Amino acid sequence: MSELALIIEDDEDLANIFSEALRSGGFEVEHIADGRLAQERLKTGNAPFIVLLDMHLPYISGADLLTIIKGDEKFSKTMTLITTADALMGNMYRDQVDFVLVKPISFVQLRDLTRRLKPTSQ
Amino acid sequence: MNNYFDRFINIATTDPDDSRRRSILNILLAGVGVISIAGLITAVIVNPRVNFTIIVISLISIGGVTIIYFINLRWSGRTASIIFLGLLTVICAFSDTPLEVAAGRALFVFTIPIIMASILLTPWSSFVFGVISSIIISVFANSVGRIPNSPAILGYMLVALVSWLSSRSLEQALKELRVINANLDKIVVERTQALAESLERERLEAGRNQAILNSIADGVIVFDKNWNATMVNPAFRIMLDLPVNLILGKNFREFIEHPRLAAQGRNLLSAMIDHDTQPLGFRIEWGEKTLSVGAAQVYDSRGENIGTVTVFRDFTREAEVERLKSTFVAIVSHELRTPLNAILGYAEMFKESVYGPMTDKQINMAAGIMKNTDQLLGLISDLLDEAQMEAGQLTITNAPLKPAELLETLHSLLDKIASDKRLRLTSEIDDDLPDILSGDADRLQQILTNLVNNSIKFTEHGEICVRLRRTDDAKWGLEVEDTGRGIPEADIPYIFETFRQVEGSTTRVHGGVGLGLAIVKQLVNLMNGEVKVESKVDVGTKFTVILPLAVP
Repeated sequence: MSELALIIEDDEDLANIFSEALRSGGFEVEHIADGRLAQERLKTGNAPFIVLLDMHLPYISGADLLTIIKGDEKFSKTMTLITTADALMGNMYRDQVDFVLVKPISFVQLRDLTRRLKPTSQ
Repeated sequence: MNNYFDRFINIATTDPDDSRRRSILNILLAGVGVISIAGLITAVIVNPRVNFTIIVISLISIGGVTIIYFINLRWSGRTASIIFLGLLTVICAFSDTPLEVAAGRALFVFTIPIIMASILLTPWSSFVFGVISSIIISVFANSVGRIPNSPAILGYMLVALVSWLSSRSLEQALKELRVINANLDKIVVERTQALAESLERERLEAGRNQAILNSIADGVIVFDKNWNATMVNPAFRIMLDLPVNLILGKNFREFIEHPRLAAQGRNLLSAMIDHDTQPLGFRIEWGEKTLSVGAAQVYDSRGENIGTVTVFRDFTREAEVERLKSTFVAIVSHELRTPLNAILGYAEMFKESVYGPMTDKQINMAAGIMKNTDQLLGLISDLLDEAQMEAGQLTITNAPLKPAELLETLHSLLDKIASDKRLRLTSEIDDDLPDILSGDADRLQQILTNLVNNSIKFTEHGEICVRLRRTDDAKWGLEVEDTGRGIPEADIPYIFETFRQVEGSTTRVHGGVGLGLAIVKQLVNLMNGEVKVESKVDVGTKFTVILPLAVP
């Protein structure tokens, strides 16, 4: 299992902040900024340890990407974290994902959360 | 012929009894006249010389009948009747030999004037003619040397009695009938008048209703129970831009096939027709327009459905405003929070010295950026909540929650803010409150946070005490009590209004836009609870939220 964290987020600044938080949490970070590229990456690439998925993406929605992740055996051990500005929408996915993060998302909280998620052996 | 005969025998007078008697007399006269003419003709044909007496009697009889008829017709029925009966009695007296009249076959003929008297004159007249007849036969008996025929006299009196009785009954019955008729006439007149009045009222009412329909801005169609349009007002025609012949008399099922009606609206209207339901109001799209539809069934006095009144309101502008509002809410929700989230994140990164060590002043500045960004985010959340609640989009979820966690989160969020103002924030939970309840943890947290935030804002020294209590078997409550400035009694009714703080100027002193308590009130309402406030100026305020107790 790699210590890769895949961030799928279209907002450049948030992607920067999330990347830094996850890096501080001890992960290697890969960032994808749009839904189509993310779809491609999920289908062909290896499974990351964490996926941080924005539900509001251009071209292909976060919900569609989540369906791909849930439908693919290779992601069975991947932790899924979704980010949304809509608390109601977040509640809808609470059972399907490991964590729902409702914006605004704090750098410190994300860093501390992902630090805890990191395998203890590392 | 019949008519002619009717006119001949009928005599119109103001007294119905008199008229009746005179008519009967005419009939009798006609009968006697016919018999006399027949006798005359027969006598002349057979042998005029032998039957000379009969011819004379017949001629006298015809003359008498004619005279009596004219008396009856022109002068007096009573006189005519007396003359007729008198003549009849005289004819009876001389119709046979004196012996036969006194005690023989001619006795019975006297019953004829007795019976007729009761019919033609007053009922008791039969007794008069009974007595006259008795005197006649007694005189005749005396003249032939016999004693008066007492059985015959008794018989006459009995006939007179029966005649009197029957005539009297008849007259009484007729009298009653006339009274009944008069009453009936009166009732008919009254009823006719009432009917005319009610028709007039209905006409006025219909005119008024039409004027109301014509003057209102909403489109109204009235359907009969088979959904045929029986009435339509001008507003409806204008609203839908349709000629009246496409609406009036048409069935509603046919009408909703119009191409300008959007499919969803067609389905809703079709469901309304099929199920005869009266939905509370729904919207349909008609071309460029949005219309709201309301319907009410019409019942007659026996409770039978006789049709439906359907009201259409042009909702285009409101729908547009609502659409803009929800678009605005969506934009605020996403596009405003994202950059604020970035500002917050970058400030945190400064504060956490992610890219190398920072001075204390720099860290303080970063904390200042974070604090202000948090306030802005809180404000946006409040505005969004308010907008959602106003649009009825905010729903309350139900899941297991731990009351203790509500307090933990409360302390983690507000301890620092309270201590910055040198206030104590304390909390306690009643022992009899279950450890786990069912409810919407996020919204309960929001209620508690808003109340405590409000208390911190308006308290300068002292403490804020939070209590979670079980109030009775079916309810539990949140209490937030402070030692703040209090709320003047006159202002208490307004504190839950949107964008309201006591005294307009305090908004700037205390921050916030006055949404916190309005949101609390609305959330509590959504949870079927109630919120109460007790306050004393310069002593403190206590907010109590009572909620239905549900255990998962």
